[in-house]
Amino acid sequence: MPTFTYMTRCDGCGECVDICPSDIMHIDTVYRRSYNIEPNFCWECYSCVKACPQHAIDVRGFADFAPLGHSVRVLREEANGTISWKIRYRDGREKAFTFPIRTTPWGSIKPPSDYAAPDANALSSQMLAHEPAALMVAALPTLPPFISKQG
Amino acid sequence: MMFTTNPFTPLTDFVSPAVMQGYIVLMVLAVAIGTLFDLLRDKKLTFFLQDRQRAKAAAKQPLSAADRAAIAARTLVHDIATFGEFCNQHRRISHVLMFYGFVLYLITTVVMVFVYPTDTHPPLVLPILWNIGVLMTLVGGYWFFFFLRVNVVHDGHPPWRLVRADLFIVTLLASLTFALVFEWVALAGNTMATRVAAGLYLFFTTLLFVSVPWSKFAHMFYKPVVAFQRRVEEADGSSSLPTPTTPRGERCPHSHT
Repeated sequence: MPTFTYMTRCDGCGECVDICPSDIMHIDTVYRRSYNIEPNFCWECYSCVKACPQHAIDVRGFADFAPLGHSVRVLREEANGTISWKIRYRDGREKAFTFPIRTTPWGSIKPPSDYAAPDANALSSQMLAHEPAALMVAALPTLPPFISKQG
Repeated sequence: MMFTTNPFTPLTDFVSPAVMQGYIVLMVLAVAIGTLFDLLRDKKLTFFLQDRQRAKAAAKQPLSAADRAAIAARTLVHDIATFGEFCNQHRRISHVLMFYGFVLYLITTVVMVFVYPTDTHPPLVLPILWNIGVLMTLVGGYWFFFFLRVNVVHDGHPPWRLVRADLFIVTLLASLTFALVFEWVALAGNTMATRVAAGLYLFFTTLLFVSVPWSKFAHMFYKPVVAFQRRVEEADGSSSLPTPTTPRGERCPHSHT
């Protein structure tokens, strides 16, 4: 289900170009609107679909195995903290879902740059950077010592 | 004196007022024919009408004439007059400057060429508004060209790399820049420089209006129509987008403004 852009909705803001992890959303040289330069390399992460402030990006399957005529649209409302989906089937049925975008306030998560640089000795540790504090636990669970079965 | 004299009077040294008026009529025709050609050639009109029919068939609640009038008013105030569609405020302001500047320039040009072609001192408001219009367009246009073009800012293209999408902005800026240069050198009294500036002004102005089928000129006409249609689809329930969780919804997320 790669992405495509509705040219009439796109206002050429470039948000999708910035957010695409596959670097396949680019700007068309004729209309200065975004387009997917390589649909078969699309990861289907939906980042651009959700980020587009004009709701100009949609997804569709390849016509050879997924008949066209359906639609999967998303509406992200930051102020309400919700993300809504509307699925329209080819026979006209519709399904709508609304989910919370997140459960903590915006800006409440500490970004990696706010953490102190890890000590070089931490390279020999089994822990990842800032564990276990960043996971908000006192210690990570450990397996009990292995006891071999006596034959 | 600058800003107070008719910038088109010096042109009458080279061409008659009738030729200048005929040129404007030709350019208006070029825009009308060019837009029509663009609509038909790329099947933009066919696509739009098909999409409108699809939306009509999917409508869940019929809209009355009053509803449509209210939507048209909202489109006019929000989407057309104040460019509310843009979430990026810099792009919005640059488009406001360009649009109103260009409209001011066009109206005052038409009035001065048709009503006061040989009058060096027309009503003061006309040359003042003409200069303000040109300056507004140039400020908004150069700001957009160097700092806001999406392929430059987000796609990493160098600003000097020109593509077909730049045809409109480049001819617009060149035309109005040489309009201002022409006004200055004509006031300075340099005949040769006036001729050169007038020639370049005429060349880029012709290119601006004749290149409509290949440039982005016509997006000024398409955008309002599409904005109106989008609002109609949201109101009659035919939009494929999810219904906003709050009545008005949120057009520009905070992270995009």
